[in-house]
Amino acid sequence: MNKQSGHLSEFQIAFRHFRRNRLAWTGVMILSLLYGGAVLADFLSPYSFKDENRNYSYAPPTSIHFFDNGRLAWPYVNGMKLSFDEYNKRVYQRDPAKHYPLQFLVKGEEYRFLGLFPCRRHFFGVEAPGRWYLLGADARGRDMFSRLLYGGRVSLTIGLMGAVIAFSLGLIIGGISGYYGGRLDNFLMRLCEMFMMVPGFYLLLALRAAVPDNFNSVQVYFSIVIILSFIGWAGLARIVRGMCLSLREREYVLAAKSLGLSDIRIILRHILPHTLSYSIFAVMLSIPGYILGESALSLIGLGIQDPYASWGNMLSDAMSIVRIKFAPWILSPAFLIFLTVVCFNVIGDALRDCLDPMLKAEGHRDG
Amino acid sequence: MLSTTSDPRSFNDIIAKETSTTLVTGHIFEGLTTTNAFTTKVEPHLAERWEVSPDGLVWTFYLKEGVVWNDGRPLTADDVVFTFNDLIYNPDIPSSARDIFTIDGKIFKVEKMDDHTVRFTLPVKFAPFLRGMSQPILPQHKLKKAVEDGRFNFTWGIDTAPEKIVGTGPFRLTRYDPGQRLIFERNPFYWKKSEEGDSLPYLDQIVYLIVQNADVELLKFMEGTLDSYSVRGMDYPLLKPLEKDGDFTVYDLGPDMGSQFIFFNQNPGKNPNTGKPFVEPHKLAWFRNAAFRRAVAHAIDKDKIIEIVNNNLGYPQHSPMGPAAGFFHNPHVVHYDYDLEKAREILRGTGFMDKDKDGFLEDEKGNLLEFSFYTNAGNTERMDIAAIIRQDLEGLGMKVNFRALEFNTLVSRLTSTFEWEAVLLGLTGGIEPHFGKNVWMSSGQLHMWYPRQESPATEWEKRIDEIFIQGVQELDEKKRKQLYDEYQLIVSEQLPLIYTILGVKIYAVRNKFGNLKPAPYGEIFHNLEEIYIKEGYK
Repeated sequence: MNKQSGHLSEFQIAFRHFRRNRLAWTGVMILSLLYGGAVLADFLSPYSFKDENRNYSYAPPTSIHFFDNGRLAWPYVNGMKLSFDEYNKRVYQRDPAKHYPLQFLVKGEEYRFLGLFPCRRHFFGVEAPGRWYLLGADARGRDMFSRLLYGGRVSLTIGLMGAVIAFSLGLIIGGISGYYGGRLDNFLMRLCEMFMMVPGFYLLLALRAAVPDNFNSVQVYFSIVIILSFIGWAGLARIVRGMCLSLREREYVLAAKSLGLSDIRIILRHILPHTLSYSIFAVMLSIPGYILGESALSLIGLGIQDPYASWGNMLSDAMSIVRIKFAPWILSPAFLIFLTVVCFNVIGDALRDCLDPMLKAEGHRDG
Repeated sequence: MLSTTSDPRSFNDIIAKETSTTLVTGHIFEGLTTTNAFTTKVEPHLAERWEVSPDGLVWTFYLKEGVVWNDGRPLTADDVVFTFNDLIYNPDIPSSARDIFTIDGKIFKVEKMDDHTVRFTLPVKFAPFLRGMSQPILPQHKLKKAVEDGRFNFTWGIDTAPEKIVGTGPFRLTRYDPGQRLIFERNPFYWKKSEEGDSLPYLDQIVYLIVQNADVELLKFMEGTLDSYSVRGMDYPLLKPLEKDGDFTVYDLGPDMGSQFIFFNQNPGKNPNTGKPFVEPHKLAWFRNAAFRRAVAHAIDKDKIIEIVNNNLGYPQHSPMGPAAGFFHNPHVVHYDYDLEKAREILRGTGFMDKDKDGFLEDEKGNLLEFSFYTNAGNTERMDIAAIIRQDLEGLGMKVNFRALEFNTLVSRLTSTFEWEAVLLGLTGGIEPHFGKNVWMSSGQLHMWYPRQESPATEWEKRIDEIFIQGVQELDEKKRKQLYDEYQLIVSEQLPLIYTILGVKIYAVRNKFGNLKPAPYGEIFHNLEEIYIKEGYK
C-alpha cells in the first residue's frame, strides 16, 4: 500500500515537472485538437470522405464573401464554374447568381454521431448544391478538410494502437527473457534479432503482400496495425530484457521469491513497473515511426485504399510537382504528419526529462 | 540530350520484348523497308526496290549497293538470309518476330539469289508482308559463331562492349552506364546522303539520360538538361506558357497509340496444382455475360476522366484500333455513353437485385456482386482512372475491392497464375491490325481475358479468329479494311476489353534542332539522321 502511494506521488512530481515544460504542453494541446478532430470527424467535417463532385476537380479553397452588392452581408460563398484556359489550366469562375450563406449545424449527409445515434447536422457548411472547400479539393472534388479529419482517424490511431501492441509484446517478452535467462533468453533474443535483421520497410512490404484482397477497410486497417507492431516490438524487448537482467538481482526480488510469489507475479508486479519510466517515453518516441510507416505504405499505394482517407494516401496525390504547383493545398496532409510527429517527439523528450531524475532518485534509494 | 525512364534489358534486337530495349536498338539496326512517318506508307530502306510475282507469293528484294556495317564490312544478302533462317526461325531462340512471320505454322522460304538479291517465298498470301520487312537485319559476320555455339541468347547482353554491337543504322553505341546514361555517336559509314549530298547523320552524338520517373524528366527538361520531353496532360498548363522563355516548342501530335482498358477474367480453367478454379464459378458466369460488361462500360465517365486526369487533353476510346491507327480505325463502332441509369437497367435485366438491402447487388442465386480490381501501382494517372471507375461501379451497387499491385506481380497473375478478377491495364498499339494478333486471336499469349485457348470459347471469338486469318491473306486494302472494321465492331459489342480514354501525344522540344519534322506516326525524331543543331545553339 505504502509502495503504491509512493509511486503515485512520484508520477505526480513528474507531472508537475512536465507541466512546466511549455513546449511539451503545447504539443499536448495540439495533439488533443487533432485527436478531437478525428473523433468528431463526421460532425466537424462538412462532407463525407467519399463525397465527390467531379465538376470541382482541384478546386481551390473557396473564398468567403462578406459584401453583397457593396453591402455588408452574412458571410456567403458563390457557386463556381470550371473552365480550361488556353493553356488547359483549370480556371474556376465565380458564379454570382448562386449565393450560398454559410451556416452552422447545416443539414448534410447522414452519419452516426460518435457511432451512437443517427444525425444529419454538420457543424458548419453551406446548403447543397453549393460547395464550401475550406482547404480546397482533391482530384475528384472531395473536400480536403473533411478528408484530413477522417484521415486523422487512421493516421493518428494507427500510431497509438501499433505502439500499444508492440509495447505489450516487448514488455512481456523482454521481461520473461530477462527474468528467466538461460536458454529461453537465448532463444527469445535470437528471435528478436531475426526481426531486427530484416530491413523494416521490406518486411512491411512482404507482410502487406500476404494480406488477402477481399479484406474490407477495417480489416486492412487492423492488418496494417498488426504488421507495424510486428516490426516494432523487438527493439523494446531487448532493452527491457537488459533492465530485467539487473533488476532480478535486486534484494526485493529476492524477498518476493522467498515469500513464494509466482514468477509471473514477480515479473508483472515487481520487475516490469521499474522499467515503465523508460518504456513510457520510448513508446512516445516510437509512435511517430508508426505514423510514418503507415504513411509510407499508403503513399506508395499499398496501405489504406481509396476512397478511404489516410494522410499517407492523400499525400500520394501530391507525388507530382505539377500538381503541387497548381494545387498546393494537396500538400496539407504532409503538414499534419509533420506536426504530429514533432508533437510526439517533443512530448517524448519532455517525458524523458521528467522521468529520468526519478529514475536516479529511485536508484539511490534502493541502493 | 534525350531521356528514357528505364534501362535497356539487352542490346539483342531479336529477343527484345520491351520498349526500353527497342529504343536503343532502333538507332543501331535497320530493316529492308520503313514506314513513312507522314503517310504511314511502306517505303524502301535497305532494299533499293522489290518485285512481286502475280500471285503475291514470291517477293524479290534488291539491296542497296554500298551499305556497310558500322565496322566497315558491306551488307549482303547473306545477312538477310541469316537474320531470317538462323535467328528468327531458329527454334532455340525466343524471337518475338517468329509469331508474325509464321502463318498457320508455316514459315517463309528465304533464299539468296546473288550478293544483293534475296527472294522470299510465302506459303500463303500475307498482306502486312512489306510492313513486316522493317524487321531489323543483323550482321552474320558478327553473330554466326554465337549461333553455331548455341550462345546467341546470351550474346549482346547489356554487359557487351559497345563497339562489338554492329548495325547499319545512323548511330552506334559508344557507352552505356547502367542507371545513368547511354551514349551514341555518329556512324561514319552510314549509307544515306542528304538531298544536297552531305553524308548523314548530322548529329555527332546522342545522349540518353536514364531517369527514374516522369517528374524527374520534367525537372530536367525545365532546367535545360534534356532537349525533349513527352508531355503528360497534367504537365501541359505548366509547360505551354513557358514556350517562349524556355526556347522550346510544344508539338501536339494527336491521339496516342496506346490504349487503357478494364477487363474481366473469363478463364474457366482450374489451377492444375490445387484443382481450384481460377475464378469462382458464379463470378465467371457474370464476367462471361456480355450484358454485365456492357453495364460496366456505361459506368465509365470518360469525359470526366479526361478532365480530371489529363487536364482535358485526351480522347474517349471506343474501338481497339484508335484514331491514331489511321486507315484501319473504325469510328462506327458501338459507343457506350456514361449513363448510370442505363447501366442499372441492364443489371436489373440480368437478374441483379439488392435482395438484402445492404446497398450492394446480388445475383439471381443470392451471391453478392463483389470482385477485386487491380491495377499497377506507381502509375498515378492509371490509379486515378481506376479510382474514378471504382467509385461509379460502387454507385451501381458492386462491391469492388480495389488494390494496386506491383507491376511484375500483376503481370504474373495475368499470364501465369490467372488469379485475378478485374484489371485496368494498357497496351501499346500500332497501325497494322495483324500485329495485334497475339491479343485478339483466341490462341494468343496476350488474349488476356482467357489466353491460349485450344479452340475459341465463344462464337464471337471464333469469328475474330477467322477475320485475322482471312485478313492477313487479303491483299485488297478495301476488303481488308472491311474485315478489320467487323472485328472492331464485334469487340465493341462484346467488350472483352472495355476501353477508357486515349492520351495525347504531346512533346516539348527545344528550338535548337533544324530539319525537325514532327509527324503523328513517326513522332519527333523519326528523321533523326537528318536533324542538325542550328547555328547559335552549338
